[in-house]
Amino acid sequence: MDDIRSSPDRELVDAVLANRPGAFERLVREYQGLCWHIIQRMVRHPEDARDLCQETFLRVHQCLHQYRYESALKSWIGRIAYTIALRHLQHKRIPLMESADGDMDEALIETIGDGFDLETACADEEAVRHLHAAIESLPPVQRTLLTLYYLEEMPIPEISRVTGLAGGTIKSHLFRSRLRLRGALETGTGVAA
Amino acid sequence: MIHDMNDEPVQPFDDAAREREWLAQETAMRRERLHLDPHHDDARTQRYRMLARALRQAPEENLPPDFARQLAVQVGPVRRASSDARIELALIVLPGIALVVGLIVVTMLYGSNWLSPMFALSQPIVASWHLLLPFVACIVFTGLLARVRPSARKH
Repeated sequence: MDDIRSSPDRELVDAVLANRPGAFERLVREYQGLCWHIIQRMVRHPEDARDLCQETFLRVHQCLHQYRYESALKSWIGRIAYTIALRHLQHKRIPLMESADGDMDEALIETIGDGFDLETACADEEAVRHLHAAIESLPPVQRTLLTLYYLEEMPIPEISRVTGLAGGTIKSHLFRSRLRLRGALETGTGVAA
Repeated sequence: MIHDMNDEPVQPFDDAAREREWLAQETAMRRERLHLDPHHDDARTQRYRMLARALRQAPEENLPPDFARQLAVQVGPVRRASSDARIELALIVLPGIALVVGLIVVTMLYGSNWLSPMFALSQPIVASWHLLLPFVACIVFTGLLARVRPSARKH
């Protein structure tokens, strides 16, 4: 906790709370990418995502005095963005994630072959499009976990702090999503949500 | 137990085949992140690396370039203590004040009934304090002696 308390997070939070000119704008600039990635991957609707990003930072502005440095500021803000996006999806009754199916995983591990030509696949724009479509067709939570793990390069414990999911659950979701995307890449089909 | 990319502990899967597949996924992600030569990778790693490349791409849509500035103008200065914090403070302070006031009122109304017996009861305790003095003196003396003895040995 000492490293968090003495980190740039502390300076930034103190500056915002002291109403120093430009401090809140700096905070937004610093974390708008993270919020956008989380919310956009969750809701997949640009206008809604923009509104929810705005709502996230308004909440950050309102509650920053309650931030206790118990986690990195990035995780704290990410948690707010994730919660707001989650609530939005729940309000719209959109399924958030799929249940675990260990048997299906085993079947996929056994059936996916190794006949893969990387150069051909890379050159094949159709295959890349298929892959992106398969990523888009994943349920919102799985999609967001992959984004946090790959794009934001967050370790599993930090993703756990953002999403409130247990580390084992996150690992399981990442594993299953990647396995199914690998299968989609092989067969050139999308992944059912 | 294995470790993920940032050296945080992650519990392995119970099933060996799943764990092997997980490790292959992690290796491919690491190799893609480090831009290592893909020609030495097996087919499975190549596939997972292609997946990693797709997942590392940021969304094409983005927030407006002036999003941060507009938001900063919109919100204005931060209020250090918001209304809920003030309510929280009031909920702590007000019962305390009510308790103190109640205690003073009760003492003024009924104090004569129990204050004088309390003082009467405390007299023997006050009177017996002089018995504690030799005990305290013993402790102090022992402590001083313990400090003096080591220095005496040195000489």
